[in-house]
Amino acid sequence: MSAQPQRNVITHALAQIGEAGLFLLTLLAAVPRSMKHARETVRQLWFVGAMSLTIIMVCGLFVGMVLGLQLYYVLSIFGGTAASGTVVAIAIYRELGPVVTALLFAGRAGTSITAEIGLMRATDQLAAMEMMAVDPIAYVAVPRYLAGLIAMPLLCAVFCALGIFGGHLVGVSWLGIDNGTFWSNMTATVDVWKDVVNGILVKSLAFGAVVSLIAVYQGYTTPPTSEGVAYATTRTVVASSIAILALDFVLTAFLM
Amino acid sequence: MSQRKSYAVGTGLFIVLGFAALAYLATQTTSVANTHQGASYTVEAHFANIGQLKERAPVKIAGVRVGQVRSIVLDPKSEVADVTLAIDDSYNHIPDDSVATIFTSGLLGDQYVGIQYGSSKKDVADGGTLALTKPAQQLEEMLGRFFGAGGVADNLGGSYVLKARFSNVGSLSAGAPVKMAGVPIGSVMAVHADPVKLDAEVLLAIDKKYDQIPDDSAAAVFTSGLIGTQYVAIQPGGSPEMLKNGDEMVLTQSAMQLEDLIGKFLVNGSPAEKKDTPTDSPAGKR
Repeated sequence: MSAQPQRNVITHALAQIGEAGLFLLTLLAAVPRSMKHARETVRQLWFVGAMSLTIIMVCGLFVGMVLGLQLYYVLSIFGGTAASGTVVAIAIYRELGPVVTALLFAGRAGTSITAEIGLMRATDQLAAMEMMAVDPIAYVAVPRYLAGLIAMPLLCAVFCALGIFGGHLVGVSWLGIDNGTFWSNMTATVDVWKDVVNGILVKSLAFGAVVSLIAVYQGYTTPPTSEGVAYATTRTVVASSIAILALDFVLTAFLM
Repeated sequence: MSQRKSYAVGTGLFIVLGFAALAYLATQTTSVANTHQGASYTVEAHFANIGQLKERAPVKIAGVRVGQVRSIVLDPKSEVADVTLAIDDSYNHIPDDSVATIFTSGLLGDQYVGIQYGSSKKDVADGGTLALTKPAQQLEEMLGRFFGAGGVADNLGGSYVLKARFSNVGSLSAGAPVKMAGVPIGSVMAVHADPVKLDAEVLLAIDKKYDQIPDDSAAAVFTSGLIGTQYVAIQPGGSPEMLKNGDEMVLTQSAMQLEDLIGKFLVNGSPAEKKDTPTDSPAGKR
């Protein structure tokens, strides 16, 4: 009796993953058709990217500042506070930057994409577009997906820059680590390819692809009720968070 | 239309900001910031041990960065690391007898190559070699020095091999120093048991500089300090004949075991003292 719903949950999750995969293929197939809606893509990029800048920048600053404080405390035990620049940079580039940006992005942009498309579904706007011979995949889904894909690495880069700035603010301006030591230790250890490119570009591109797919897919397959939209929005956040953290582990294992 | 324009400009700004942040992070906070774009010339240096030195590590003179390590390869013919240093053209007055040393910045920091000026009037040229080097300090070696065993001399100039037989080598192992008058002159190359004579055969690699050791010299296994490492001490004899490569040292004195010493102390004489061990305990021991 208890095993029955358990299996249902698992088969349901597997079915969702499979459907999302097929949906991704549909999206990619529609990319050439959506080229004529490039302006819509730019508008979505403005909405999911530029409008997310504030939250990303503030969070990046605070993450960097907290990291600076905590590292100063731990490293002062070993008398190695000079290494805090290195550790802040590596921690932000490799993990915190991509992961926190993706989580914020799922909460800020993913939910609004799901809710918007879900409401279009609930109010039959998507059906109306089909009636007017406008492909809703090419006009609604693909621009949002592409916008998320492009916005994520850029947001992550901004997050990382602000994070480093925050770490510098706390470490150098407040706690008195030498400015030169902070930067020279960082530049001596941080590697362009292994840390910056693998962390910021590869990871955040992967996260952007997954989060945008989940958001668009959940919106597009919403049950056309107000309750359905609410559930779909919640599922976007839950599924995105799990996907981001699980994918982060897999990517880290491969990119080490 | 104006509405449309405002978001287009904002999106453009966002993209520019994102790429600017990425470019800044990639170039200013990573090791790319350390690569010198300016012209440089290369100088070779050979090290017996490079420790944790990595390519692109800084080269410093008086603590000032003047270049970087371009490549590190193992010399295929000898046990020496060939390190190529790329030094900025503006620092082209380095005497050719300068000493290149591998230092560690701080206790846990990265390693770098430091150059200390010599007194030669000639400058080292592009493609030249700094002949005088000091290898990276290994922690084990420093601890060994702390315990009194002393560092082992680099055998870059080549070494010759002497044999010595001991009835007991204690915990002597390959790599232990060989000292004469307390100064390290070589190292223990191998320790193995002789299956026929049932004693320990020790091969000593001695620096070629020290080829004037009389053939009646004695080899003894000593311990530095109470808990220190063991080493082989050579006590020179008076013979006019010198030891040559492959010769065997006849006079040897085995390691004193702490148990033997205590037994001797307690029962006044340990049973069945070995044939080649002098009855009195070695100097420095009680």
